[in-house]
Amino acid sequence: MNRTAATPFWRIASAGLVLFAVLVLVYLVLPTLVIVPLSFSSDTFLKFPPSGFSTRWYESFAASADYHFAILNSLKIGVPAALVATAFGVMAALAVVRGAIPFRRTLAALVIAPLILPQIVLAIGLFPLMAKVGLVGTYPGIVLAHAVVTMPLVFITVSAALRNYAPTFELAAMTLGAGPWRTFLYVTFPMIRPGVIVGFIFALTFSFDELILAMFLTSPTTRTVPRLLWEQLNFQMTPVIAAATVVLLGATIALLCLAALTGARARRRLAGEAKGAGA
Amino acid sequence: MTGTAPRTAPRAAQRQRARAWSPSKGGLLLLAAPLALLALFFVAPLLWVLGQSFAAPAGPLDTYVRIAGDGALRYSLIYTFQTAAIVTVAALVLSYPVAFLISRAQGRWLMIGMVFVLVPFWTSAVIRSYAWLVLLQRRGVVNEMLLALGLIDRPLRLANTDLGTHVAMVQIMLPFMILPLLSAMRGIDLSVLRAAAILGANPWRQFVNVYLPLSMPGVGAGCVLVFISTLGFYITPALLGGSSPMIAVAIEQQVSRLLDWPLASALAAVLLVLTCALFMLYERLNRRLAGAGEAR
Repeated sequence: MNRTAATPFWRIASAGLVLFAVLVLVYLVLPTLVIVPLSFSSDTFLKFPPSGFSTRWYESFAASADYHFAILNSLKIGVPAALVATAFGVMAALAVVRGAIPFRRTLAALVIAPLILPQIVLAIGLFPLMAKVGLVGTYPGIVLAHAVVTMPLVFITVSAALRNYAPTFELAAMTLGAGPWRTFLYVTFPMIRPGVIVGFIFALTFSFDELILAMFLTSPTTRTVPRLLWEQLNFQMTPVIAAATVVLLGATIALLCLAALTGARARRRLAGEAKGAGA
Repeated sequence: MTGTAPRTAPRAAQRQRARAWSPSKGGLLLLAAPLALLALFFVAPLLWVLGQSFAAPAGPLDTYVRIAGDGALRYSLIYTFQTAAIVTVAALVLSYPVAFLISRAQGRWLMIGMVFVLVPFWTSAVIRSYAWLVLLQRRGVVNEMLLALGLIDRPLRLANTDLGTHVAMVQIMLPFMILPLLSAMRGIDLSVLRAAAILGANPWRQFVNVYLPLSMPGVGAGCVLVFISTLGFYITPALLGGSSPMIAVAIEQQVSRLLDWPLASALAAVLLVLTCALFMLYERLNRRLAGAGEAR
């Protein structure tokens, strides 16, 4: 009886809850989208609302040698870093999830730790050590640093993929005489492939976005896009940065859509195979 | 599925019979390469930081004594803690209802909710901080809109204030709170709420006595994650400013402007120890979360 009397009140309360959540989602997404109209501004400084439409900032972005080099550097650093992170992350995940090893949890925590630790602490430690062996300002230096901090992303996605199916598949292959490498190639890898690809894409995205390690470990000739953006932000505020930002935003979202599609396709394929195993 | 494996199987079997193999073997061998990478480029630098922090010429504890004696640095540490606490609480209050609704959504609404959370999550913090600067600066979007609406006659000072920086940091941290909350909430069996309702609990009591306790592992994990990330936050506070630099910004200033590596290392060591302690707490909470239900 108490409940029926309170119904209109609780209905208003739950409507309020939904409204609150919608406002939070708007707060989460909208601020970044403000850059999009600004990037098409015809003004020479950031003004809202823009007084006219133009693509001049995209043109100057496309013509900028600085951005060309930075994008090329980001690729030269991000792709190898993500590849190293993927190879090592897969190894670590296989060992921790499938292997009979001591201190499993401590090792898992150690592998994940670089993602949690503030990058400034790692940068302060890596800079003097890399300076001693001449790695500061070189591609291998920043590639290895990014590989360490992105390996946890691959480790997490691949561990989840490995936990999704029983190790009996691998046991079966091995009973039939397949060695460890063969088993990995024909059984394990096809099963975890989506996790590996998603981990690779996450690692790549992370490396493209990473600022602090890049600030310490790259030189003006190896500087990445975030570092260039950061340097420009600190002394000028033209809409070129807005245009560059929108392009990067588009690239990030495209990569993540690719990751989402990979995951969805893998799920569909697994479901399809389970259904039509005979065909 | 595999055409070649059966043909070569007998020979492989012969080869393998010599030393039996199972999926659980070779773990340490597989770990060798990742552990070497971690040892060289993660553990060694951290040990170096700890070593440097005790390497001041005036004595091993000199840097720590200087931090304790320097009013500005001391305030920076306190300010960082305050900020982390404020951002964590604000993020929790804002995230909880969102995570609750997304955890109960299905199909299209679930997808829309996840897109709203994941797109900002994967958008560079540099880009999002820049967006906030565009919004909050003197002639920024917020001020222009308020002026146009006639709510204020003079632009408000929003960038370089604690309020502006906190608003931006909370927005950047929200996904780190929503995602652990979601993973805890999706594991909650909603029939316990129905049971509470049948026993006469109104929605508020259902929430406080049943739902909230069940979601606590997610609350804990999210809070620790956001607190840790805010403690080490560099980009947004460096760009937007505030009444004092955060620790990460102070470390960077010590190194690049004052070239005081021992002092920077000591500050980094403080941050490192705090982060480690909180990370262990997070691991424990996460383990309980994983044990509690089929989270993830």
